[in-house]
Amino acid sequence: MSFDIMLHTPTFALAVPLLFAFLTILLSKFSKKVGDVTFLLGLLLTGYFVFLMSYRIFTDGGWVYTFGAEEPITLNFFRITFIADGFAALATITIAITAIAAGIYSFGYLQKKMPSDKFYTLFLLTLGGVNGMVLTGDLFNLFVWFEVTSVASCALIAYENHRGRSVEAALKYMVLSVVGGLIVLFSIGLLYGQYGVLNYALLSGNISRIFLDKLALGLLLVIFAMKASSVPMHMWAPDAYGEAPGPATPFIAITSLGSLFVLFRLLFGVFGVGMDTAAVGAVLVILGVLSMFVGVTMALVQDDLKRLIAYLSVSQVGYMTMAVGVGLATLNTVEYQNFGELAMKGGFFHMINDGVYKALLFLSAVTVVHKTDLRSLNDLGGLAHKMPYTTVFFLVGAVSIAGIPPMSGFSSKLLIYRSVYLYNPILAVIALVVSIITFAIMGKVFFNAFLGPDQGLTDGEVSKLMLSGMAILTAMVIVFTLFPGLVVSELVTPAIEALSEGVIP
Amino acid sequence: MTLESILMTLPYITVVVLFSLGLFTVLFKKNLIKIIMGIALMQNGANLFLVSLAYRRGDYAPIFTSAESTDMVMPTAHALTLTSIVIGVATTALLLSFVIMIKKHYGSINTDDVRRCKE
Repeated sequence: MSFDIMLHTPTFALAVPLLFAFLTILLSKFSKKVGDVTFLLGLLLTGYFVFLMSYRIFTDGGWVYTFGAEEPITLNFFRITFIADGFAALATITIAITAIAAGIYSFGYLQKKMPSDKFYTLFLLTLGGVNGMVLTGDLFNLFVWFEVTSVASCALIAYENHRGRSVEAALKYMVLSVVGGLIVLFSIGLLYGQYGVLNYALLSGNISRIFLDKLALGLLLVIFAMKASSVPMHMWAPDAYGEAPGPATPFIAITSLGSLFVLFRLLFGVFGVGMDTAAVGAVLVILGVLSMFVGVTMALVQDDLKRLIAYLSVSQVGYMTMAVGVGLATLNTVEYQNFGELAMKGGFFHMINDGVYKALLFLSAVTVVHKTDLRSLNDLGGLAHKMPYTTVFFLVGAVSIAGIPPMSGFSSKLLIYRSVYLYNPILAVIALVVSIITFAIMGKVFFNAFLGPDQGLTDGEVSKLMLSGMAILTAMVIVFTLFPGLVVSELVTPAIEALSEGVIP
Repeated sequence: MTLESILMTLPYITVVVLFSLGLFTVLFKKNLIKIIMGIALMQNGANLFLVSLAYRRGDYAPIFTSAESTDMVMPTAHALTLTSIVIGVATTALLLSFVIMIKKHYGSINTDDVRRCKE
């Protein structure tokens, strides 16, 4: 039996960050440089294996990776399985891009302020946890990775523990996550008690519309929507994003995007056949509209730069929830062919877009805060004179999040407007209005912080490493802007096909 | 209702009591330590729920005995419970260490005093 590395890539996407998480802290004892290199190596290797996995998925189709067995899973064997399909590829690619950019950025950031070795460990642990969450094929594993991600990301938020506020934000998020995790465990118990299986594929054949299944569905939906920072369970997000240490901020946002991926996987893969898709889709649409609207309204009144972007990120999560909700509501009907599929395409294209430009916005905001030690928009001004690169990076992110043509944010939002209009015209109108308000907010921030006379707040650009972290994300945004059709046909369409067909048995 | 069926439902009643007591504590208590105690109660409720689900009357425990493999209960729920206990220790430790930091910075562990993020 030969060792086929391509077959085992899902394991490596998880094992590499976990291994390097503890290697970095060990090797950092020798010198800081060795630790830095190990961290970068871990990130790049993870990205490499994610790339290999996606390559195999796109050329040969998806597969179920079963740990410790070659035969496919049967009812009597409780094997740990990973599902590597188009959906997992889209999710892991989004996570990997942001993780690598944020990781490179953190080299420059951590130099003077705080010890870096433990930061790297927590960062890689979170990366491993999120990868496990989106790849896993059974509920048992889902719970474990959910908790790994919670613990590691909360410790990451509280990393600057000389400030009380970051510990407060971490405590808030941690209490919510732990209670959420217990409720996830409770609903796993509900499903296991009835069907005696935990595997997604086996469960999806059993799910019916009885009360206990609906209860489990409702609990899982609420908890994963909470982790994805969807209104009305969004109150932790501005605190956590606002108080997390700079380079970790986009990564915490990606963690919650990962939870959204898991929510969609559960809804389509596990509950898809057995539930009332129209009703659950409508619930997602309502959550999405609420998130869009409340997020952008709260962003209007913020003057703290990081909190403002955090609220905008809540409102962006609404777009995806709404679009995928429309797709779910029309699943298996004629309307799915007409516009449901298009809505899903828009939603998922927006997810990968949003992951990238949100990270870019967070990193450029962090750069401003790092350089000036000011967070309030009232105190900032004239930064463009001394920080031309950061200004350009922020502008690219701002134009993209506002959905201005021809940026990538516009392509995905256009797909959403067109398809959602056919489901209910009011939704498209709300989405447009929210987009316009987002544009106004970004305009305000840009003029306030970057334009105007030089106030001498900064003495120049940040280090080259930090700039190159942001440059990677800018390059990705430009790639998505130039080739939206390619991204939709090569990345997003396989994900939607994998999702709407349910999980591979 | 026989005595036996009452005894069989007793674990589930305990689960409901533990879980709702914990949830009540988390939602309505102002002391951070008490909130963490509430979380611990909920953890125990969830663990008891899983263990009670795994019980099959008349079957053997899944350890090495001469019993037929079909007569043994599935150990999945037990494995899940053990994992959950371990995770519970980690989360409780992290939460308590957060509370120590909060006490250092704010001089109080009352939730009314710990709200600087909103400012």
